[in-house]
Amino acid sequence: MKVKIWGARGSVPAPGPETTRYGGNTSCVQITLDDGTVIVLDAGTGIRSLGVGMPAPAGPLHILLTHLHLDHIQGLMFFAPAFRPETEIVIWGPASPEASLQDRIARYISAPLSPIDVRELPCTVSFKEAETTEWQIGSATIRAASVTHRGPTLGYHVQCDGSSVCYIPDHEPGLGGSLADLEDEWISGFDLARDSTLLLHDCQYTDGEYPDHLGWGHSPLSDALMFARRTAVERLMLFHHDPLHSDDFLDALCGESTARWEELGGRPEQVEFATERRETQLSARPAAADGARTGSG
Amino acid sequence: MSAQNPLELIQARNLLSSVSTPGMLVSGPGDVIFYNEAASALLGQRFEETGTLSAQDWVQTFGPFDDDGEPIPLERQPLTLALRANRPGHAVYVIRSAGGEERRIEASGVPIIGKDGFTGALILFWAAVEAEA
Repeated sequence: MKVKIWGARGSVPAPGPETTRYGGNTSCVQITLDDGTVIVLDAGTGIRSLGVGMPAPAGPLHILLTHLHLDHIQGLMFFAPAFRPETEIVIWGPASPEASLQDRIARYISAPLSPIDVRELPCTVSFKEAETTEWQIGSATIRAASVTHRGPTLGYHVQCDGSSVCYIPDHEPGLGGSLADLEDEWISGFDLARDSTLLLHDCQYTDGEYPDHLGWGHSPLSDALMFARRTAVERLMLFHHDPLHSDDFLDALCGESTARWEELGGRPEQVEFATERRETQLSARPAAADGARTGSG
Repeated sequence: MSAQNPLELIQARNLLSSVSTPGMLVSGPGDVIFYNEAASALLGQRFEETGTLSAQDWVQTFGPFDDDGEPIPLERQPLTLALRANRPGHAVYVIRSAGGEERRIEASGVPIIGKDGFTGALILFWAAVEAEA
């Protein structure tokens, strides 16, 4: 399967000359399975670029929303395929006891925030609250699980053709405990990420910035790295860059992350910062584990 | 898959780890799956030492005990019965620390209900009012 980043910025779009390399669009990732099925993870502003020139899919287009914060849905209104009558879109997202997924999304795609209503979209669109069990999209097996963030929030695991992607863009697993010390079963998102070929994970803050944002639902660098080591992922792509982090700043943070990853026993080529338009082909993960997991559970 | 705890329990443990009120976390089946440092001081034993305790082991070790010093079976504990019925509960009883010291405490429990229903309970301990007088 192929993974392409269309937006890796967190919180709010951050366009400008200082963010041209890592990109300023908010969360959106395209997964293309070997059978041609397209799965879109989140609908931040990056989905607008994805939709431009996108050929009509043979079947339904599945958009998996982790949660409904604006930086993860803002692009929905500007996704070109949604304005084609022949398109069928299925939007998955977290359940909430407060209102249905459709009603909660409709608060954004309706007046006064939007000139048109969800019901006026020319495409066929349906809404599904993500299952707590596995389900199939094309040849992929999808799993969703609630993770630590503010409000109902999911992480996703997409497995196909011997490789897997775990996507947890907004996540604060170290809140209230040290990830180095917690047993596996007490770590939010552990089962979802475990042994993934590629983990896309929140790294909004530096360790120095984190104390001022404790409980906001995002990870500092050290927790992102420790979570990845504990879950023994093959590759880590750090995601959800803070809008204040310029390209030069992220270059420096990337260098720091590589050094710290090696201190944790990882290989430098395993970790990188997500970059807009970066495309990567995943191959089946080797059977041998590298013994990265240190937990007791 | 490992038996990862539901997110509601993970969040509840985070809360308990951050407060100075003694408290513990009980799983859906009734095992004591965590108690905090303040509870450790009350019980005379750290959670890292005991690990997860079955309900029976908890009762035999720490109580609660009746006036004759006998453990009160779970099915006779009003707090347990309330929680099993997805209701909050409050009780006053005697527990015994690992060192053998008996303490009269009050316990307040609330069920933790996630999207899949009852996943456990959070119980806080207080010094009994009459003990403070």
